[in-house]
Amino acid sequence: MTTTTEQPTTTTVGETDERTREAWTDFEFDGEAKITVEDLDVYYGDDHALKGVSMEIPERSVTALIGPSGCGKSTYLRCLNRMNDRIPSARIEGSVRPDGQEIYQDGVNLVELRKRVGMVFQSPNPFPKSIRENIAYGPQKHGDLDTGLLARLLNRDDTAEREELVERCLRDAALWDEVHDRLDDNALGLSGGQQQRLCIARCLSVDPEVILMDEPASALDPIATAKIEDLIADLAEHYTVVIVTHNMQQAARISDQTAVFLTGGELVEYGDTDRVFEDPHSDRVEDYITGKFG
Amino acid sequence: MADARIRSSQLVDETTTEADAVAALTIGVSAALFALAVAAMFDQVSLTGTIAGAQTVTLLGGLLTLLGLTVIALGAGSRLGYVESTPDPSAGLVAGVGAAFPWALLGGSVASGVLGLGTGGGLVGAVVVGGVALVATVIPREDVGSTVPLGGLLLITGLVFATGVIGPAWVWELGWEQTAAISAQFLIPVATLSTTLYGGWAAAKAYGGFGARGRHMGAYVLVYLNAISIVAFLFILVAFVVIQGVPGLLTGFEIGIGAGPEISLLGVSVTLPVSIPFVMNGVALLNEFQGVLPAIVGTFWLVIGAVLLAVPLGVGAAVFLTEYAERGRFTQVVEVATNGLWSTPSIVFGLFGFAFLIPRFGNGKSLLSGMITLGFMLLPLVVITSRESMLSVPDEYRDASAALGVSKWQTIRSVVLPAALPGVVTGVILGVGRIAGETAPILLTMAGGTFVPDTQTVDVIGSFQFISTPPFVANPALLEATSALPYQLFALITAGVGLGSNVSDPNGFRWATALVLLIVVLSFYAIGIVTRYYFRRRLQHT
Amino acid sequence: MAQVNPSRGDRLVDAVGERVRRARGFVDDTEPAALVVVAIMTVSIVAALVGFLAVSDWTIVPFAVFLLSAAVGWVRYQAETAFTIALMMTVSTILILGLIIVFIFRESIPVVQYESAKVFGVSVPGLRMFVQPNWDAVSPPIRYSMVPMIHGTVMVTLIASAVAAPLGVSAALFLSEIAPATVREVVKPGVEILAGIPSIVYGFIGFTVLSPWASDQFQVTGQGSYLFVGIVVGLMALPTVVSVAEDALSSVPEAMKSGSLAMGTTDWQTMTSITLPAAFSGVSAAVLLGVGRAIGETMAATVMLRGVPRLTEPLVNVFYGQETLTSIIARNYGEADGLQMDALFVAGVILFITVLVISVGAQYIEWRMYKRLGGEV
Repeated sequence: MTTTTEQPTTTTVGETDERTREAWTDFEFDGEAKITVEDLDVYYGDDHALKGVSMEIPERSVTALIGPSGCGKSTYLRCLNRMNDRIPSARIEGSVRPDGQEIYQDGVNLVELRKRVGMVFQSPNPFPKSIRENIAYGPQKHGDLDTGLLARLLNRDDTAEREELVERCLRDAALWDEVHDRLDDNALGLSGGQQQRLCIARCLSVDPEVILMDEPASALDPIATAKIEDLIADLAEHYTVVIVTHNMQQAARISDQTAVFLTGGELVEYGDTDRVFEDPHSDRVEDYITGKFG
Repeated sequence: MADARIRSSQLVDETTTEADAVAALTIGVSAALFALAVAAMFDQVSLTGTIAGAQTVTLLGGLLTLLGLTVIALGAGSRLGYVESTPDPSAGLVAGVGAAFPWALLGGSVASGVLGLGTGGGLVGAVVVGGVALVATVIPREDVGSTVPLGGLLLITGLVFATGVIGPAWVWELGWEQTAAISAQFLIPVATLSTTLYGGWAAAKAYGGFGARGRHMGAYVLVYLNAISIVAFLFILVAFVVIQGVPGLLTGFEIGIGAGPEISLLGVSVTLPVSIPFVMNGVALLNEFQGVLPAIVGTFWLVIGAVLLAVPLGVGAAVFLTEYAERGRFTQVVEVATNGLWSTPSIVFGLFGFAFLIPRFGNGKSLLSGMITLGFMLLPLVVITSRESMLSVPDEYRDASAALGVSKWQTIRSVVLPAALPGVVTGVILGVGRIAGETAPILLTMAGGTFVPDTQTVDVIGSFQFISTPPFVANPALLEATSALPYQLFALITAGVGLGSNVSDPNGFRWATALVLLIVVLSFYAIGIVTRYYFRRRLQHT
Repeated sequence: MAQVNPSRGDRLVDAVGERVRRARGFVDDTEPAALVVVAIMTVSIVAALVGFLAVSDWTIVPFAVFLLSAAVGWVRYQAETAFTIALMMTVSTILILGLIIVFIFRESIPVVQYESAKVFGVSVPGLRMFVQPNWDAVSPPIRYSMVPMIHGTVMVTLIASAVAAPLGVSAALFLSEIAPATVREVVKPGVEILAGIPSIVYGFIGFTVLSPWASDQFQVTGQGSYLFVGIVVGLMALPTVVSVAEDALSSVPEAMKSGSLAMGTTDWQTMTSITLPAAFSGVSAAVLLGVGRAIGETMAATVMLRGVPRLTEPLVNVFYGQETLTSIIARNYGEADGLQMDALFVAGVILFITVLVISVGAQYIEWRMYKRLGGEV
């Protein structure tokens, strides 16, 4: 392999051809694939943001998506729960199959999909409501928790269940100890790190199977980031976590497998985290990891 | 797109096509019934006549009954498990109140009218029946609660109409001192309209499978209907004015060389090839066709005067507020004052002009007083839009200019104002559109001389003269009481005829005046909207 | 050691001191000649104002001096002149509002004194106008009661709000959240054009088309009903509600809405549970402004109402429409003089105060909400 010192160019498939790339992104692992993605292409207008991505995400582990800014990691993540539908200029082709069920077809129940595949955003976005209401929001809207006036009058309310749910989720998100005595306070009054953990707790409240995280700690200070990283490790025991991060060290620390996206929306390499970081197949990935660009 | 996929009963909806089709059909039938009711309300469809062979009222009643039965069937089908759906345990308080309202109305009217129990009995009946409907909606499961009470309402209404209990001749005398009665002519279309609306709402909820999705569908149907109605209303309104006004506008219309009046354009005498007497003549005994030219000229001068007053003042104030002043008491007071001015009713401006300006400008109604009053009305709008435009000029521009050593005023003059100009211009155009159509302020300060011969269109520029006594400058034209388009229309409505025998169609003359006013005002608005759109596009592309 | 919480008086003294210091700084910084020009400008414009208020023919003299000095200043000391003129223009907005308040109040004083009533032996000026319901400007006892007009305005406003508020907020939701881009490009200008239709045109259509139809439908004698005036005024206030509410709804951050949708809620649930509550202050301000618009509506009411100031019988009779605060002014200004004219000014004062309170209330709500959310949203 020739050593190059120039920056890789954009848009073209690059120095790797299709077959090589397929070989580098074919990750064999034990166990079930929670989500299978096949030939996913995303266009924003004329901009080809994601090029033919195929990958299988193993269940109950942490999969990290890394790469320089603007190479399609977040776009890819948002395809997994169809949040890209919100963008009018977006056109999506390909197949995404959580549990083997295609979600890019007619008649898909988006409500059900997003119950199963939850999302935590880059900037914490708690609702301007109390901590308790933030967590109870999801189940309430799904009709699983009724604590309204009417239900209380008819003695059909689920207040006890709600309290149980709130405590469970806050404990799972490692936030209970800090806020258990002020559950009625407005969530906007919490610190940034606490707000993000609240968003994670909120995500857990609907009992998802997959948790998508879009750079969850990028807006936080190092201490809060460390807490989030510990949390992610715990979450992976029960949930399938897919996390986008621009912090390579973070990916190396917490993930089981890593997918590397490079400029132009290409998935260049995907495999076991240790192997990808210590001995990457692709030159470009090696350049990126060793900091030659990005 | 991807190929074969495993269908799941949860993630991908099981399409129960038959129930969906029924629900969609129900929504369609309600839409048709809605349209029919609207037509009946405006006498396009006669209530005493027949449609397609059946008595109108009977047909309406029959369709309503059918609709009611279908709605109940949709709810029952879900409850009894024939149809896949995801209902909530209860329809909720919102749906409950929504259903209780028409039932309460029904109960109250029946108690008060049919049972003759008077107002007190009517209130009691309304509360009782409404309460029952509320309970019937919120206690059972959502699929029953959102359909049965409303379906029942439709059924009862439909049967009442179909069986002739309320026929075309029905009347309910309200027994008030100032007599009023509710006739079948009013009740049948309106009752049809409102119950159909409820029916469509329930069917939409059923189409969405009840639950959150059902409520989402129901809400969207209503919201879309509302938006469509508003746009349709606008169209119908404008079209109506156009249709009614064009004949009057075009009376005596001629095209051809030498057909129109002679005017001097830049010193050259030109004969216009088009003659539209309505906008080119005034009212005079010897006119072949009467017109509203003086009013048009009056509006023109009013707008110019108002703009000359309000724009410098407003832009100046905006400059001070955004560039010089710091946020504090003073700016707060100015903001309150500006908002106060903006919300002041137009008639109060008229009163102010009457009390303050008229005594100081010739002690009678005058064009000048009208100009100044309208200028005061335009001022807050100019201040607000100019401020917004200037605030949206990024600070980076100002910083860059300051970093080059340019003084504050120079920066404002060469950087901020030009950048804010598009917004200011748009705001002024829209503001002008608003004041051009105002009647109340000019009613008390300027209006007079409705039927003015066109030789007396106010000639402002030519009337300036110097005089020997203070105030040394006079302009009799400015101190005249003249007409303007909005006032012209008002006078025509209240004074009735009085145009003389030359006007063959006084009604058409009125409509034509309204049309001309509408054209003038809407042109300003259209230009304003287009310029704003144009400038925004320009901004986005830079 | 500085005080932690300076008292109100101390803060005031500080503020004044700051102003004086700034003024002194201004004086020190500017050339004496420029200061002279600015001083002449200020003095002359104040003199012109005084002269104008005093209805003097000589007002033109100081005004000409002002124009001259401003011209000189613009040429030689543009920055200072520009600043001074901008300041004067800003002060003028306050001045105009102040003049409006002073003059309409002043004109109404005589009739307020005339219409005094005794409460426990104390004569309260103006009370009789709000206590007894007769308006009779012709035959003795001459009475100028505001009660029928207030009743009329209340009836019309209630009906107009019942039309404008729900339809307006719903249309705002549609424009801001639901409509696809192409539909929005059509409907939004449509609503603005609706706002542009002059009130007299609405009144004209109402008068020629709606009122005859209405009196036929309800078998009333004569034409003119609060119900239909209310509906027309509601349609006129609708665009105000739509545009202000739509602005408020659009400014709810996308992140919040995405957060809700990612939890698996429907769009409608997101709108009602997140977007509307977050924009609540703006939406209530929109409704309040719509109500204010309805209260101040003049020409449509004048043309469509009967013009006989009295209470309807019974009070809730919406099928008859007599007179509102706005229509009585527009209808009677021509023949009225003396006390009757002053009574029209009283109506104007009531209108002004009511709408001002509503407008300030709307601003206050927005300010409170902004504070409560910590200025974050």
